Amino acid sequence: MPKLGLKAKLLLAALIFVALIAIGAVFFPVPQPEVHLSPNYGGHSPDPFFTLGPFYFSNTLIASCITLVVLVSLFALATRRMKLVPGRLQNMAESVIEWLLNFMEGIAGPDNTRRFFPVVATIFLFVITNAWLGLIPVFNFIGWVAPHPEPVATSFFGDYTGPIVEVALFRGANTDINVPLMLALVSFVCVEYWGITAVGPRHYISKFVRLQQFSSGLKELVKGHVKAGIGAIMSGAIDMFVGALEGLSEFVRIISFTFRLFGNMTAGEVLLMVMLFLIPFCSLFVVFYILELLLGFVQALIFGGLTLVFATMAVAPHETEH
Amino acid sequence: MEEAAAEVVNNLESLKFIGAGLAMGLGAFGPGIGIGILGYGAMQALGRNPEARGPISTNMILGIALAEAIGIYAFVTGLLLGIL
Repeated sequence: MPKLGLKAKLLLAALIFVALIAIGAVFFPVPQPEVHLSPNYGGHSPDPFFTLGPFYFSNTLIASCITLVVLVSLFALATRRMKLVPGRLQNMAESVIEWLLNFMEGIAGPDNTRRFFPVVATIFLFVITNAWLGLIPVFNFIGWVAPHPEPVATSFFGDYTGPIVEVALFRGANTDINVPLMLALVSFVCVEYWGITAVGPRHYISKFVRLQQFSSGLKELVKGHVKAGIGAIMSGAIDMFVGALEGLSEFVRIISFTFRLFGNMTAGEVLLMVMLFLIPFCSLFVVFYILELLLGFVQALIFGGLTLVFATMAVAPHETEH
Repeated sequence: MEEAAAEVVNNLESLKFIGAGLAMGLGAFGPGIGIGILGYGAMQALGRNPEARGPISTNMILGIALAEAIGIYAFVTGLLLGIL
């Protein structure tokens, strides 16, 4: 074989790429994937596997149980017989916790970090394990298969006749809207609780209900200084409006958290499916897989980091203007 | 031509799909520009002070995720209109 220069190698690689696309499109047609927002793919609301009273079991619930088992067993095994010079598993667990602690101390400071660490670290680890477990080939692949005797249209020419997975057994838990909603509610309740226990309920509520200037304006009116009274009343009204907006934004944060995580994870799943089934036999899909890994990590970081930021803002003693 | 256009506009289902496309398409303007401005600020800060690389990139990622959330709202609106 003659030695190939760089240009010849590139040309050969491009030719093999095109040939793989052609072979895949002609001889191995794959159906176009269908995208569903609800787990278990049952119309407008999930059609669960089985119900137990008010609880129903869907494939995302099974996936989040797997996440629980993985996380708990990992950290239980790592801390079983702790040595001063750690073994490999304990070393890995320690490095993860240490990285999280450093990240949080960069945002919140040492004593706040001690107080907020359990909840924020749990949120981070839960989201990242859910996201990364959803990328294993087992998920979205094992499930109830229905043979399709009638041919299904594919992306290129030809029709696909063969088994199609109707309902998957495992599906990444972050793609079910209940999981991000649960995490957002937990984060909201914890931030309010920390705020109220740190600065006291009266001082905390005075951030949202600012009657200070308004009542001083009324007092000025009663005393007889009309001009100063009316000025203070007007700025007091604006102050009250701003406080009400801040209170509203606390609740809007729940929705924002939910849809940020849900939208990112669902969009990632849609993107992976489309890229995988668009051109079979080509490794274009690997780039998007790496992107999904990175995105899972970033979304976990965002969720935990934003909870930390809002908690730090809530416990900071805020000055009121006089 | 006019009957085809009238047929499309009078049909609720087709209007939904047009709405889905418009939602995602127009909703991508704001976050794109916002993330671009954030990146610009981060690059400038990095150029002035290359040693502060850690805090700059951490805060930039946080800001980008907040801006991207608006684009995700547009995507979810498009999904709701188009699929559900």
